[in-house]
Amino acid sequence: MSSLETVKWINEQFKKTNELTQKTLKYEDKHILLFYIKSLIDQELLQKLIIKPFFEMATENQFKLYMQALPQFQEGKSTEQIQLEVMNGNVIIVIQNEIYLLDLKLSNNDQVNSTSVETTIHGSQLGLSDNLMTNINVIRSNYHKPSLCVEYLVKGEINQHKVAIIYDNEKVKNDVLDTIRKRLQNVDKQVITSTTQLNNFLNDKRLSLFPRMIMTERPDRLVYNIAGGKVILVVDGNPQALATPAVFFDFMTTMEDNYHTLLISTFLRVLRYIGLFISLLLPALYVGITSFAPEVFRTELALTIAGSRVGVPFSSFIEVLFMLFFMELLLEASIRLPKAVSATATTVGGLILGTAVTEASLASNIMVIIVSAVAISTFVIPVNEMAFSIRIVRLFFIVITSVFGLAGLTLSFYVLIMYLVRLDSFGEPYLQLYISPKNKSKSEEQI
Amino acid sequence: MSRFYYYLILVNMVANIIACVPAILLHYHKEGTVTSMLLAVILGTALVTIFTRFFNTFPERTLPELLQKTTTKWFYLPFVFFLAVMWFIAGLITMVTFTFLLNRFLSPEMPIIQISLMIILSAIFGCLMKTDRVLYTIEIILLITFPLILFIFYKAYSSNNLEWDYVKEAVLYVNQLPNLHSFSACFFLFLGAANLLIFNRFFAKKQTFGWKQVILIAVISISTLFTSYFIPIGFNGFENIDELVYPWISTSDSLRMEFFIIERVLYMFLLFYLGIAFLSILIHWHVSFEFLKFVFNLDEIKFKGKAIGKFIPIPFFIIISLFFVYQLNEYELFRYTSYFYNSLIIIFPMMTMLLFFIKRRMKYIEQTNQK
Repeated sequence: MSSLETVKWINEQFKKTNELTQKTLKYEDKHILLFYIKSLIDQELLQKLIIKPFFEMATENQFKLYMQALPQFQEGKSTEQIQLEVMNGNVIIVIQNEIYLLDLKLSNNDQVNSTSVETTIHGSQLGLSDNLMTNINVIRSNYHKPSLCVEYLVKGEINQHKVAIIYDNEKVKNDVLDTIRKRLQNVDKQVITSTTQLNNFLNDKRLSLFPRMIMTERPDRLVYNIAGGKVILVVDGNPQALATPAVFFDFMTTMEDNYHTLLISTFLRVLRYIGLFISLLLPALYVGITSFAPEVFRTELALTIAGSRVGVPFSSFIEVLFMLFFMELLLEASIRLPKAVSATATTVGGLILGTAVTEASLASNIMVIIVSAVAISTFVIPVNEMAFSIRIVRLFFIVITSVFGLAGLTLSFYVLIMYLVRLDSFGEPYLQLYISPKNKSKSEEQI
Repeated sequence: MSRFYYYLILVNMVANIIACVPAILLHYHKEGTVTSMLLAVILGTALVTIFTRFFNTFPERTLPELLQKTTTKWFYLPFVFFLAVMWFIAGLITMVTFTFLLNRFLSPEMPIIQISLMIILSAIFGCLMKTDRVLYTIEIILLITFPLILFIFYKAYSSNNLEWDYVKEAVLYVNQLPNLHSFSACFFLFLGAANLLIFNRFFAKKQTFGWKQVILIAVISISTLFTSYFIPIGFNGFENIDELVYPWISTSDSLRMEFFIIERVLYMFLLFYLGIAFLSILIHWHVSFEFLKFVFNLDEIKFKGKAIGKFIPIPFFIIISLFFVYQLNEYELFRYTSYFYNSLIIIFPMMTMLLFFIKRRMKYIEQTNQK
């Protein structure tokens, strides 16, 4: 296709919008044609790199060579590519029947954000940005190895978003990479806006309770995961990345575990696992013990609990569900509410509801303590997605305990373990203890 | 040996403290239980050694696969089906015993069918997993429960109420000749190694099983037997100990944790032993499921392109288990369990002969292949 036809074709494509700017530059015997979308490109750069030199150069040939020497230069091969690149902020230059593309994209979202979800005391406070290229820049400047590979894909039929697959060529397991590529091929969604959306699309089971990919905004975590042979997925316009395959213990580690001394990080881990158990089991234990087997506790404690429940008109099952329901509402509200109002919501919910509910004897004092203990220990789980799963599992436990009692709770806990063991994350067993040195290479992030 | 191998043995040994084994042993406390225990340790360790050595020579092979290679179809299909029934019964005994226990001591007002149904369903959920995942589950649940079980044993040994004089008195009966029932009950503790018939699939690497391992197993078994027989005697006295239905429950109920939030050790014991018993059921039924899969070729059965074959045994498992839970009482359970144990001491020595036969055949097949 000659350049004239291409020009015509491009004009045809953009006929309906008035976004495409066409500019003809003519001076002495030099003549070029520019196409660009005004809102996508850096106009200052355009002026500095193209327009100014154009009027200064002696001949057209010299200008052409100058263009080819520019770092943003690439040749226009097919019409489709040209159209796509224009949409990505390139300038088309038609010169002597040849088509050049110059990447002069203006992006206002390339500032690196500070971490907001995974905050730590130690280590870097900077996360990723909304811009894909900046993110890759951040990762590359933290991971200096030539084997780091980046593959680009375009996903989302309508909005044509860029997705990058990042991995270390030497460390990655090829079958994992192949499954990810294959599943990405099969994603045929119309609109893709978020990295975490991919989490659902790449997972072949619809009803899965636990996340198989770890969402993170910390570059140090990404680098750590790449070094561990994991594959990273980043979507343009998202300050979060996904790392996969992820096993259960990955969701219980923070990056800070590596920054503390061994004793301190062990203490913090133990604390976290205790928090996990409390948030999972405590409400169900309360139901099981008060309603089924109060004699399990020592007599004094059993009497205290029974005394605290004097006047409460519900069975413990209703009481727990009632309080947990309000706690979940409070949690959900504090995420959605504008920052200015959320403080009020927590005050109203926590203080007023907490004391009023016991004074009205709709719930026992101990119940209020349990609910707040559960809420606090849910926040201890470092990765947000896991905390969501735990909240749902907790409800299952309460229901099962109210039907089957304490033994039911114990068994359902074992069933949960079996469910986790049974899961796969891209070919890796989801829950497995890594003790023997043979398995050590399987995952870098261990208990 | 791989650590997973020891889990199989350990679970089978420890789980039987809660089952009928101590009751049977204590029932014949004046008729040669001590000598039966000694004899069982020697013969049981020998059996474990034979089984383990045999399967070490065929890494990643299960017994049905080996039988398929070396014997004819009319022999191995009924035989494997028979094994499936045996393993099902082994799991069933643990299940029924624990159902009775929970019904008696933890939730007496709950219908017994409901209790057993929850154990059955959760065990079956686990049985359908792949063999390696079953082992990972065993590891994690053992990691959670075993330290507490050890703590309870520590509490028992360090308790002031443990009268060593009774224990000494019981040891004096060492001059009696061993009796069959005690011997078979003790012998059952060693049959954890027999789970290798299926679980050998997991052990891919060539393992070493030398004197060190044999001694380790002997030590574990002696301490388990000693604990399960003598500790109840030390707590409850020697004379009428055979009247106790659940010797270990009575024993653990005489333990107190004065300063902990749960005062009676019994509840800790019950709930954590539930984990061990659950693992025991899980292992036995998993083996049974795998045998059935082999006999009826269940993986081939498909419905609308989905492999539903492995779900077919589930209703049978549930119905048969519920039937027995409903029908049996504790007395019958103990009697039939004892018969079951007795039958095992005939079957397993015979099986070792079968293993030798397979080994020779396999050698022959390999030689012809080389030629």
